[in-house]
Amino acid sequence: MKSANELVRQKDQKVLHLQTEVKKLQKQLKAEEEEADGQLLPTIYAITPTYTRLVQKAELVRVSQTFLHIKRFHWIVVEDALNRSKTVADILAQSGLVYTHLSAPTPTVYKLKENEPNWLKPRGVAQRNLGIQWLRENRELSEEAVVYFADDDNTYSLKLFDEMRWTKHVSVWPVGLVGGLRFERPVVENGKVVRFYSAWNPNRPFPIDMAGFAVALQLLLANREAKFNIIAERGYMESSLLQSLVSIEELEPKADNCNKVLVWHTRTEKPKMKQEDALLKQGKGSDIHIEV
Amino acid sequence: MPRRRNLLTAILIVLPWTILLTIWHQNSGVFYLAIQRKEPDNGTKRAPINNSHSKEEQGVCVHQEAILTQQFIKLEYIYIRPPQWSQALPTIYVITPTYTRPVQKAELTRLSNTFLHVQNLHWIVVEDSPRRTSLVAVLLEKSGLNFTHLNMQSPKSVKLGLTKSSSRTPRGTMQRNLGLRWLRDKLSPNDSSEGVVYFADDDNTYSLELFEEMRFTKKVSVWPVAFVGGLRYESPKVNTAGKVVGWKTVFDPNRPFAIDMAGFAINVKLILKKSSANFQLYGVKGGYQETSLLRELVTLTELEPKASNCTKILVWHTRTEKPVLINEGRNGFTDPRVEV
Repeated sequence: MKSANELVRQKDQKVLHLQTEVKKLQKQLKAEEEEADGQLLPTIYAITPTYTRLVQKAELVRVSQTFLHIKRFHWIVVEDALNRSKTVADILAQSGLVYTHLSAPTPTVYKLKENEPNWLKPRGVAQRNLGIQWLRENRELSEEAVVYFADDDNTYSLKLFDEMRWTKHVSVWPVGLVGGLRFERPVVENGKVVRFYSAWNPNRPFPIDMAGFAVALQLLLANREAKFNIIAERGYMESSLLQSLVSIEELEPKADNCNKVLVWHTRTEKPKMKQEDALLKQGKGSDIHIEV
Repeated sequence: MPRRRNLLTAILIVLPWTILLTIWHQNSGVFYLAIQRKEPDNGTKRAPINNSHSKEEQGVCVHQEAILTQQFIKLEYIYIRPPQWSQALPTIYVITPTYTRPVQKAELTRLSNTFLHVQNLHWIVVEDSPRRTSLVAVLLEKSGLNFTHLNMQSPKSVKLGLTKSSSRTPRGTMQRNLGLRWLRDKLSPNDSSEGVVYFADDDNTYSLELFEEMRFTKKVSVWPVAFVGGLRYESPKVNTAGKVVGWKTVFDPNRPFAIDMAGFAINVKLILKKSSANFQLYGVKGGYQETSLLRELVTLTELEPKASNCTKILVWHTRTEKPVLINEGRNGFTDPRVEV
């Protein structure tokens, strides 16, 4: 006499198996479609650094749902950890995306402590650099592609990816809700970027957020020394890479001459765990086998 | 002389009728609703309104119940064919209350990116505003989703939760109720098509699996929600027989329905059958909003547990930080014509 739980579990396993099958077939179909019509479509490589925290799974799931609409998209997810975690591996496998899963730990001296403000130390540097390195080791100069540094908590419109896809060197566009402003953006005159509209340290070489530019793969492969500098001053991270790749005159303005906001620097609140902490003290924390 | 008198007479006769007809025409909505209330089975109730299926415009003025001052509710239904609509699948009606703030466009954008993957989804977006805004209208139109765009302005005290008393109306209540009202207006209980109603706030995170779990709800289905009640997750308590027997929460687990808005879905036929079931507007204790609706629809034992007997997390109650716009200063720094 099998209990209801047993039956439910069996049914669930079967459903899960079928779902995986469907996903596999869908992926296959997608790949074949892209082969057929997308031979000439440059690939978009998105390098996303990520780290373990409560909202990590939610963020990755949510951002993957946006990416799933983009043709010829390759997601390079780099965890801030010694080893790749099962949580992220499962998310990527379930996502339906083409992906590469890497990990690179931030050196201890640069690791943020629990209550330190997030701007105190540079974040994501080791991870982004590993993503760039992976591309250098696994991709050819002949490949037409573009590289975008996409954090896991930002919000991306689908149009943004159309805009960046045909980047020849470095393309730029406005970013919403960043730098203490509604948006920051490059200022364009006669189709060229002449300066930057930003209120925070506007005299940086490139006062632009990580989400506000994309780099042609060929540029990264040709300049093998270019990378993010972990000891760059606060706010100069983007400049530390772009300086060695391009000059302001060469920048390609997108998003209607940088008049449209197609990406937002959203940030997610840390969820309140007051009751959870109280329960933990009593030794009655929630079931850790249920992944959140 | 007599000709002029005749003309004058004619004008004096025609003029009041012209005025009357103009006013009548403007208020035709009122009459439409009056007819509706008196004769619900009247097949001609839609007579005054153009019956085409392309973009339809209906302006309706309605008088609300005593508590609220006169509200104007505009109902507009725009049907854009989404990809792969299937006649065989129940429709998922997602009701999302939303309000204007800097992150609104971002939230709705990423939410629409999620919904675009779900088959047979109809998004009912209800703005807390005096008029439907072009920001939301354009976003919805461009999204390619099947949608309905409504608006209903909450009185100021409700909007900002300014009244500190325990009996305050939680955010989004009036908007959700308007969504329900639209469904009841639009669908007939005798309609054979199946559907389920889900209340999705614009800042939560939803897995695609969640929608398939809720799709075949018979009455009310429930599942765990992450990051609510000060816990990693709250969840219904399910016994070995697969029935919901209680609630795994720390905050007031003895509520009749100790569950978050994102943790349940309702079969649309139940909504239509119990046509007066709504979220209670006033006098609702903190945490009892969901109960105020669910208790009118279903009992504990009738609940259908999903997500592997409520052991999987398929929805997260994420909240987005309020962006620091300190450099805008008092008069604004950025070009206000650029939409964010």
